[in-house]
Amino acid sequence: MHYSVKVALRYLTANRLQSTMLIAGVAIAVMVFTFNAALINGLAEFQIQRVVGSTAHVTLKPERRMPAVVPPRDASAVRAVVSQRALQRREQIKDWRAVESILESLPDVTGISYNVLGTVLATRGQQTVPITLKGVEPQRLSAIAPIDTNVVAGEPRLGLNDILIGKRLADDLGIGVAQPVFVQSDQGRERVLIVRGLYATGVESIDARLAYVNLDTARVLFDYPDGLTEIEIKLADIYAAPELAERLADSTGLEATAWSETNQRLKDALQGQRSSGDIIKFFTLLTIVIGVASALLLTTYRRRPEIGIMRSFGVSQRFVLSVFILQGALIGTLGSIAGCLLGYGFSALLAGLPRGADGSAPLPVDPALGEYPIALLLAVVASVLAAILPARAASRVDPVEAISQ
Amino acid sequence: MMTTADSTPLLEVVDLRKTFVDRYFETPVLKGINFTLARGEMVAMQGSSGSGKSTLLTILGTLLAPTSGTFRMLGQDLTRLTESQLSEFRNRYIGFIFQHHHLLPDFTALENVVFPHAGRVGRETRVGLERAAMLLERVGLSDRKHYRATRLSGGQKQRVAIARALMNEPSLVLADEPTGNLDRDTANQSFELLTEIQRETGTTFLLSTHDELLASRCERRIRLLDGVVVTTPAH
Repeated sequence: MHYSVKVALRYLTANRLQSTMLIAGVAIAVMVFTFNAALINGLAEFQIQRVVGSTAHVTLKPERRMPAVVPPRDASAVRAVVSQRALQRREQIKDWRAVESILESLPDVTGISYNVLGTVLATRGQQTVPITLKGVEPQRLSAIAPIDTNVVAGEPRLGLNDILIGKRLADDLGIGVAQPVFVQSDQGRERVLIVRGLYATGVESIDARLAYVNLDTARVLFDYPDGLTEIEIKLADIYAAPELAERLADSTGLEATAWSETNQRLKDALQGQRSSGDIIKFFTLLTIVIGVASALLLTTYRRRPEIGIMRSFGVSQRFVLSVFILQGALIGTLGSIAGCLLGYGFSALLAGLPRGADGSAPLPVDPALGEYPIALLLAVVASVLAAILPARAASRVDPVEAISQ
Repeated sequence: MMTTADSTPLLEVVDLRKTFVDRYFETPVLKGINFTLARGEMVAMQGSSGSGKSTLLTILGTLLAPTSGTFRMLGQDLTRLTESQLSEFRNRYIGFIFQHHHLLPDFTALENVVFPHAGRVGRETRVGLERAAMLLERVGLSDRKHYRATRLSGGQKQRVAIARALMNEPSLVLADEPTGNLDRDTANQSFELLTEIQRETGTTFLLSTHDELLASRCERRIRLLDGVVVTTPAH
């Protein structure tokens, strides 16, 4: 052990009460830091899972065709281009079997749904409601949204004449399980379907304005004998979605959209949360800097005669500097380790509180998201930075003046 | 660097001056000091309060820079060294004994003695600890070596300070009123110890003292009066 470490440790243990208070101060600041991180990150995760848990992480759609630009005959003429989608043909993913082989080989995909999507008017008696009808393969019904586990009446079955509708939509139409509903597609095709089940996912857009039918039924209704209107993908790591979307757009030529692009409001809200969390973290670090710096400055002043004596027998300024910086580092390290443990314990305690009737936790704290390595590193760096000023003051003590003090 | 022949003086002070300057006043304290110290002698420095004894000791101990003049030790002009070179020189060749012992209160007697060596080499070596223990035994404190400085009596503290001053086998020990804070018996014992060690080790001692009796037991006296040396009887 270097002698400066021994001296720094001796100084810390010589005044145990002051050192304990200092370490406790750093520990509490780090605890606030890590708990704040666990809460903000846990809340963000909770919100993301709530939103993204029932939607696709990447959606593939047909590439939008833009009108070709025809160059004017006179090269000097001013060119005006009006951009609008080509509407003469309905867009669809025709070659989806080729895409399927690409998707099946991806390692982090947890679910894929091949869909035909369209708008229908659903009529029951005098009630007519415009809804989106999603045609899916029956075995992939819950590949994206957990429909089968959210069925509140009937069963999650999709025969050719079956339809699954949200509880909210059923209430709007005044319809129940095993009752018929008349649908008319935007292609003019009509069909009577039997309500096979009602679901309640808790997501308004799914429960009130969406219904599920068999993929083959949708093909007939929307006149897509071969193609698909979209492919939905669910991933194990939702944060890999933007990168995967980019790769899939390149490899398939389709329009690939990640969940994060279509949830700007959520992103803004999370960004706002993160920013306020960062401000709290900044102030906790500032507390560490001020606390450690002021305590060490007092120590420096109190130990001036001793520093003068050390200097008188030839101990270098660098040695004195290192003794005080090491004190800062030791306080920071011990305090931040204790703070991380306290932060984890406190977060785990809150996360373990009894859940409400709907299964949700009182506080969406995730102890695993406490950013402990960053907290540890920043607290030690802050403590060392805080020790620099007192250490410089100590190393510049005039031995003659200090000895005569 | 330190290969000067034994016949050359250990310390040579030439026209050394020190003037303290503050916002309003200039106070000349040393007004042209000249003297030499031979190797292995024990010299008492006397003078009334304010004659410049302590200032001269701190300059010779390289803790304070003179306003002008030079002083050479072991052939080296110490007025030309940088701060870090002076620290190194002080650590290797100069030992200090203060009137108020100035031990480090949170360290044991042994740790206080070994500090000048450990602070230089960066750790407590076996050789360093053995020498510190030997020095404590020499000053009669082998049974107190693990006592904190705060648990020692005034005389014991001063003996630890003597051992610490000798830790790095210095060529010169500067002692500023080393017995000034002790009762007569303890002062006599401490002075006896210093003279014995001086004889055993051949270390040069320059002691500042008001005590005529102790000064008379030194080989030579230097008298300071109003910032100049008035007598340096030839040795």
